[in-house]
Amino acid sequence: MAGAKAAVKKQHYSKRDYKGLLYLLPWLVGFAVLQLYPFITSFIYSFNDYTVGGTLNFVGLANYKELFTHDREFWNSLKVTILFALYTVPGKVILALLVAIFLNRNIRGINLIRTLYYIPSLFGGSVAIALLWRLMFMDNGVFNTMMTKLGLPNVSFLGDTKLALPTICMLEIWQFGSSMVMLLAALKNVPKELYEAADIDGGGKFAKFWHITIPQISPILFFTLLNQTIQEIQNFTSPYTITGGGPLKATNVLGIMLYKQGFSYFKMGYASAISWIEFVIILVFTLVLFGSSKFWVHYADE
Amino acid sequence: MKKKTISLVLAAMMSIGMLAGCGSSSSADSSAAQSTEAAESATQAETTAATDASGNVTLRFAWWGGDERNEATQAVIDQYEEAHPGVTIEAEPGSNDGYHDKLATQLASGTAPDIVQIDPETMPTFVDAGDYFVDLNTTSIDMSTFDADYIAQRVNGNFDGKQLGLPTGIAGPAFLVDTTKAEQFGIDLTKEGITWEDWIDYAKKVQEQDPETYLFCANKEYITNLFVYPLAKQYGGPIFDEDGKLVTTEETLTKVFTYVKELYDSKAVAPASYQASYVGDDIQADANWIAGKYVVAPCYISTMDVMVAANPNDEYTAGALPVMADAKDDGFASNTPQLLSITNSCKNPEVAADFLNYFFNDEKAQETLGATRSVPPTEQARKICEEDGKISQVVTDATTNAMALNGTPNDKISSSSEAKAILFDTVEAIGYGQMSPEEAAATVIDEFSALQK
Repeated sequence: MAGAKAAVKKQHYSKRDYKGLLYLLPWLVGFAVLQLYPFITSFIYSFNDYTVGGTLNFVGLANYKELFTHDREFWNSLKVTILFALYTVPGKVILALLVAIFLNRNIRGINLIRTLYYIPSLFGGSVAIALLWRLMFMDNGVFNTMMTKLGLPNVSFLGDTKLALPTICMLEIWQFGSSMVMLLAALKNVPKELYEAADIDGGGKFAKFWHITIPQISPILFFTLLNQTIQEIQNFTSPYTITGGGPLKATNVLGIMLYKQGFSYFKMGYASAISWIEFVIILVFTLVLFGSSKFWVHYADE
Repeated sequence: MKKKTISLVLAAMMSIGMLAGCGSSSSADSSAAQSTEAAESATQAETTAATDASGNVTLRFAWWGGDERNEATQAVIDQYEEAHPGVTIEAEPGSNDGYHDKLATQLASGTAPDIVQIDPETMPTFVDAGDYFVDLNTTSIDMSTFDADYIAQRVNGNFDGKQLGLPTGIAGPAFLVDTTKAEQFGIDLTKEGITWEDWIDYAKKVQEQDPETYLFCANKEYITNLFVYPLAKQYGGPIFDEDGKLVTTEETLTKVFTYVKELYDSKAVAPASYQASYVGDDIQADANWIAGKYVVAPCYISTMDVMVAANPNDEYTAGALPVMADAKDDGFASNTPQLLSITNSCKNPEVAADFLNYFFNDEKAQETLGATRSVPPTEQARKICEEDGKISQVVTDATTNAMALNGTPNDKISSSSEAKAILFDTVEAIGYGQMSPEEAAATVIDEFSALQK
């Protein structure tokens, strides 16, 4: 702050002040080339009829109109994408919170247990793990073989239009580790005095959790929710590798639709329009979350 | 002071990191690398391509492929160079990835290699774009060793009478029959004049004896490629004509999809929900094929050996391909996986032609190349490969079956990935009982109309 004030006073910047930009350069270049440029061009493409290698033909809102009125897949994909986020985000955050609470204690070997719970997240959006999931849940996969051995009926997890999406969501929920680590850190930072005070006042376990823990960790909870929502709306790898969007488009999220239009059919303009709709959805979800944060997120310094 | 040292070191590290980053990204970024490469090779071409004072000739030969193909091709080049002192052939092997984008730039700028391998599905785009290739009819290559009908097809390099490329091999549909299973169920899938209805009868026979076994190991992609396209062409000829107009009818497609429904209803194929776990080309991973719960694998000549290897305990043969009595087209088409062409920018087309002649017709070259570009296109080369054990008996039989038919290859529009996706979805919807054959035909006609030119 002091430096900035001094700069204003002097009304000119010394060489030294520009040095900061030099240090920022790697990031600035990366941002401009890998994020800003695609961001702007995709916006332009979305108003053009543009196939890879072809020329730009301005068509106004035609791509969007086609999506909203003619495309048979679009509304279904929109529904699937939102369902995907609605299943996955709460599932992941709740599971992460429960496990974090469980791990927030001092017992022998707790570090090992924490590591173990974090392992699934290390696999991230890897294709290998998605393939493994498919092998586990297909009709003659590991899971069904076990069920048959136990005398239970065979369930077509990936072949049933109603079950396929939840099965894939389970893979995402299973990778709760990064949220868990953040929530665990938040739990550890809740001041002990608050619990002690509650003990003196005779507060029960649930009351302590609801009135102390939740408000105290609410900033991290908010951040996790926001982050996961953005991530899950953009999800592509798991549904693409496990079911390829099937059966009967039941797992055909917008990401897959975008990929097929852009990279299988080379209709980049159309694909860009889809990506901008995805962006707007994410924006809406983010704004709603931010709007709601006033009512439930508690900042200690306010 | 110390701080300054640290920040200096860090800055140095970062700038090195950036340099390294640039270096690796430019070599990874295909277009940048290719354009410099193209430029380099252009200058090279300028200086060395033409016959130099002492009569030496340098040719460039580009192809894509795996290690086996690269080694075999290089060996043939070495043999040729040894027999022809003064001729140098610079090999430019690459990966399929981005190969044709690079080639397109080179063709347009006149810096393409002298001999190039081209994907037959991309070839028409190049031919439309310009006069890039030498008509091989005008050269010294002996083409009598090829099957005349085969090389006369557009997809095998013949464009309006001009032989702009030669097929490197034969690829096509195949029905791999597990004879151990077929005998067990008492069905004959190799009989001459087999019909589409026979298959349904066989499927029922198999199901009666063992409800856990299905006749065909197929998913929606294979049903589309090996049943829908051949049936549509046999019932009604091409789906789109050469001008890109939709010519197939709703009536034809209704018949096709009625057959698809029969496949599912008679349990000739596994239920759609089972197939959902095996997307795309994944059928050799089907645990039930490995466990021997199918009789026939609809596949391609190039994938037969893989399917045999997945369940090696049984005996196999190539199944007969059904053609209906009043078929408008044989439906099943075989064509080459690659073409070899001489570009017009070549300064010594006669030498290039002589090399190609050696490549295709010399016994030693044929022996060296083996089946590295799928089943060879000439009978003599096939014989050599068979004797060497480089191609298996099932592959030879399947090739004979496929060559006996003269089906037209799928047209450009109906074989585009967009049209295929429409058919995959429709077959799946029929499999799930979500669409009747009539509805399916109407939907496909509706969606295909939007694709026509």
